[in-house]
Amino acid sequence: MTIATLIFILCLLLSTVRIVTNAPNPTRLHTDNIAKRSDQRFAALRAALPSQGVVGYIGASGSAAVGDYYLTQYALVPLVVDYSPNHPLVIGNFPVSLPPTRLPSAHLQLVKDFGDGVLLFANRDAK
Amino acid sequence: MALVLPALLCLASGFWLVSLGWSRQYPLASDLLLRAALSFGFGLGIFSVVFFLARVSGVTNLIALDLLVFALLLASFFLLRTRAKTTATISPAKEKFDGPSWLHRILTGAFAIALCAAVYSAVLRALAHPHGDGWDAFAIWNLHARFLFRGDAHWRHGFTPLIPWSHPDYPLLLPAAVAHFWTFLGDDAPAVPAILGFIFIFATVALLFSSLSIFRGSVPAMLGGATLLATPSFIALGSWQYADIPLSFFFLATIVLLRLHDDPLDDDPDPAQRSPAFLALAGLAAGFAAWTKNEGVLFLCTIVLACYLLIRGSRAVPRESRPRGATHIAPLLLTVVPLFLLISYFKHFVAPPGDLFSDPTTMLDKLLDPARYWVITKWYAKEFFRFGHWLLVPTPLLMLAYYFLTRHETRASRDSRYRASILALALTLAGYFVIYLITPYDLYWHLRFSLTRLFLQLWPSTIFLFFLAVPCGAGAPARGR
Repeated sequence: MTIATLIFILCLLLSTVRIVTNAPNPTRLHTDNIAKRSDQRFAALRAALPSQGVVGYIGASGSAAVGDYYLTQYALVPLVVDYSPNHPLVIGNFPVSLPPTRLPSAHLQLVKDFGDGVLLFANRDAK
Repeated sequence: MALVLPALLCLASGFWLVSLGWSRQYPLASDLLLRAALSFGFGLGIFSVVFFLARVSGVTNLIALDLLVFALLLASFFLLRTRAKTTATISPAKEKFDGPSWLHRILTGAFAIALCAAVYSAVLRALAHPHGDGWDAFAIWNLHARFLFRGDAHWRHGFTPLIPWSHPDYPLLLPAAVAHFWTFLGDDAPAVPAILGFIFIFATVALLFSSLSIFRGSVPAMLGGATLLATPSFIALGSWQYADIPLSFFFLATIVLLRLHDDPLDDDPDPAQRSPAFLALAGLAAGFAAWTKNEGVLFLCTIVLACYLLIRGSRAVPRESRPRGATHIAPLLLTVVPLFLLISYFKHFVAPPGDLFSDPTTMLDKLLDPARYWVITKWYAKEFFRFGHWLLVPTPLLMLAYYFLTRHETRASRDSRYRASILALALTLAGYFVIYLITPYDLYWHLRFSLTRLFLQLWPSTIFLFFLAVPCGAGAPARGR
């Protein structure tokens, strides 16, 4: 019983080592970029949008695309951000600023470029 | 400072609610720690229900509502106290440590190290990821909290089928509690959900430690507490601000309160001495579990079923005197039903339909596909040894080995509540199996990204039931028959 309990305790301590080593390094602690990719990125855009309703969304493709969309929604609550261009107002979220001549869709008319790849479009054909 | 008043109100409301039925006085330190841990969870549960009902009814004066609820609980406490029998005092567990003193010191040191390591890791993770780690925090729980907080009269817009990836059908204990605190603060500060995530980790540990201390003594309590603290994925997931650790708290709270309900007075097996209030509190805990995540609804059903089947009074009670129908679990149902109605209201009038049962025809095909059974079984077997992300030696393997080494001393519990708890957990695990069978998602994807968390939901309860039964080289035999 004593040996069993001792082995049990020692094995638990092994995993405790993992808990400590897997923790972020306190001497090089950096906050993640969630706020930068969401609230900070869309602060100016949010001020230009209505306070409630549904807006559309288009973005770049790639591995970060889904996360970018989720973070856009997170930032713009209580607006609902639908991943579709079929709305009167559509948010564009791209890694770099797109020149106005390279619009992702012919139906979309650029309303404002907020810089850093954040754009606001109007969809002339949306109902 | 703006958070001090709501925090005190939350904790105090939880404390009075827990104390309403607290008819036993256990050893002071363990009793206080247990009640404090339960108060935290129950307080948040009350806070979330109050906020949700305020949103539904359009009430904007939240502080008045909170103070009213607090006053009602306080009044109920004093009213019931004056009418109740004298609180029974329970003797501390007669602990006798058989092992060498150096082992006791090592265990105490190990527990302290595990606790410090867990706090260290949880704090650093919260600082590095104030919005949680992984996607679920900002894509589901905190997103819903923001809709509840920022949405004002249009809060229901957040539960639209236009954003199905946010799981708008998920229950609202966490989001509503977070939004409640944000309302007091006037800002959706990420510190609030981060702090709640941190506290849930250690409230679960405190609940486990204090309950084992009451039933078995300090050695099993430290072993059980260290087992949970030394589960790397438990600490990580709590810091991620996912709802799985809060859910594990309510699962454990239900099972602990069931056990308290059956705790005889100084080994007196007279069923008349059982306090129905503990059973009512267990129902409340199960209800809050259902209000936390959809898996909690499954657990609620299994705990009610298990209690109905197995809790029918001791064998000392003549069969003809045993309760009929469901009267023996009436206190449990009394607290389950209101929360069940609340959840039903939310599911019917606020949330869109969930995706799990969206295609009955395909569901039937999947249920009849033997390959799916095999895949899920293999994953269950694999995850059993990996879900905690332990270093080198999986703790379930350790526990199995410990059990086999001590099985001649382990007393199989005839305690009906113990067996009901085991049955409920087993049925919940089986329920998860069925959910994977019928999932509309890719099966491998779903298993890969959720099975670990499902096992973690049941882990604290499993540890509790394990250390309740096995000898630990010390500690009193488990209370009860």
